[in-house]
Amino acid sequence: MPVKTQKLWNRLFLGYRSSLGLSFFRIFVALTVGFHVIPSFFHLEDNYLSTAFKETNLSFFTPSVIHWIQQSPDWLIYFFVSFFLLYWFFFLIGLYSQVSGILMMIGCYYFYALNSFHIGTLSWDILLVTLFLMCVTGYHGDYFSVDALRQGNRFVYKKKKPYFIQRLLQMQIAFNYFYTGLYKITAQGNWLSDNPLYYLWNYPPEGVTKQFLFREFFASRPELCYWMGIGIVSVELLAPILLFWPRTRVFAIGMGFFFHILLITTLHVPTIFFFLFPAQLLLFVNPDDILAWIKKKRKDNHDSGRSQIIYDGKCHFCRWSVQKLLTMDLLGTLKKVDYHDHDDPSKLHLSLNKEICHSQLHLIEPAGKIYGGFFIFRRLCLRLPMLYPFIPIVYFPGSGIVGPSVYRWVAKNRYLLHFSGECQDNTCFR
Amino acid sequence: MRWGSRAKNIWISLFVVVWTLVFHYESVRFFYLNPFFHRELPKVKFLFPPAGWIMFFNLDESYGMAEVYGVKKGRPELIDPHEIFATQAIGYDNIHRNVLSSVLYPQRKEDFCRFLKRKFPFYDGFLVAAVYYPSIIKEPAKKLYRVVYQCP
Repeated sequence: MPVKTQKLWNRLFLGYRSSLGLSFFRIFVALTVGFHVIPSFFHLEDNYLSTAFKETNLSFFTPSVIHWIQQSPDWLIYFFVSFFLLYWFFFLIGLYSQVSGILMMIGCYYFYALNSFHIGTLSWDILLVTLFLMCVTGYHGDYFSVDALRQGNRFVYKKKKPYFIQRLLQMQIAFNYFYTGLYKITAQGNWLSDNPLYYLWNYPPEGVTKQFLFREFFASRPELCYWMGIGIVSVELLAPILLFWPRTRVFAIGMGFFFHILLITTLHVPTIFFFLFPAQLLLFVNPDDILAWIKKKRKDNHDSGRSQIIYDGKCHFCRWSVQKLLTMDLLGTLKKVDYHDHDDPSKLHLSLNKEICHSQLHLIEPAGKIYGGFFIFRRLCLRLPMLYPFIPIVYFPGSGIVGPSVYRWVAKNRYLLHFSGECQDNTCFR
Repeated sequence: MRWGSRAKNIWISLFVVVWTLVFHYESVRFFYLNPFFHRELPKVKFLFPPAGWIMFFNLDESYGMAEVYGVKKGRPELIDPHEIFATQAIGYDNIHRNVLSSVLYPQRKEDFCRFLKRKFPFYDGFLVAAVYYPSIIKEPAKKLYRVVYQCP
């Protein structure tokens, strides 16, 4: 292979970069799968059990597989519902990411073979292609995941992994757009010779078009619809160039977002178009640029003063908890402070003494405000991206009463929560 | 370069090449390669749609859908399709995506009738009708009806 070609190949597929973007994308893949499949579980009698109205996709599966899956007794279907939900949740939170992704995908295939009537759409097939690529490696579990917390490495987000999966996912979406555009003007597509967008806006109320603002306006202007259609096809055809050329990349990502928002607000199309594709477009953001941005933010936070987490360095559970918080602290907003290193903790904050520091964790913000116990967790939920999912729970009415009791119970029984000999007699708590 | 890294790179390169070929093959197989080779080329099973990425690629001014009527004491009553297929998708309405139209195939009669009888036991029978708008532009109000099959 000529040296230049080899260099290009290495740069495109064999390079090593942070898998931070891929980890973020995993969450959207999981959400998309969940939003698409889980609603079909609310009507198992209609959709999957022996009483269901079923459709089979024989172009996707082989007849023997369809036949085999169709033999499923109802108890097995219930089992697979639980199986799917379990591994979908594991994949969402990134627990054993690769394995849970594969098992969730098996669940997807099972229900698709059992009945393609509700979940089987063209966008579902695209999602399965994406899911297949995601399952090839476990890099998507490197961050924003329980796996990352289990590793406990605060700088795991910087860890570099082969870039080929992210590159193939970029190629997939770029060429999905390209072929979608190509089919509209060749084969049996009629976007050049006719005016499909005009028909779409004029569909009857039962049709696929939603009642959106300005629908009447567009529905009465065939020429405008035609040129809008040509515009859409042009952008779709140019998508690979616009997305891969660095100069137009930001514009193309923005266009893609706009297009998908437009799609979901005007047409009854599966939410896969909204939840998966925009997130997949973000995979075009160079991980090195993301790392550089994080580095800058960490430096800014360091210079402007970080919040201090005051903890008991002699308590294994406390050290473990602080380590997890620091792993989640992507932008470096926290600084850990073992109160044993300070003879007089009141120098950290006037309200602190050794007894108080020993009883629970404390967070002192740069402006001097102090939080303790449960309220640290509440505060950090707004600051650490990995804790965002807990915001609705910790701010739920009444959680300010229940939360501190739960925290205190955990603090009191923390010797039960780990295997360190240091706290097994509960001496860590006073 | 160490042997381990070299072997890894070889595997990655092989995967990339095979995947890229398969992806583009499946993207063009049905509408471009089949006509070119004058035969139906094999499809990669368990992945990829049957005919490439053909979202909204061909739409004309006609529109067709299905309507289901429950018959009680000889009188047909239109059944809301959302009651027939009650699964609520998130962010869109599957009924508007015309999922009901697939019941119009006569070979689906037996399954669909069994399904309707279970869901709506209070009807004596059912009519499944094809509804056709010949032109949503020129005659938007003109709807043609044809009973495709009846469930006794």
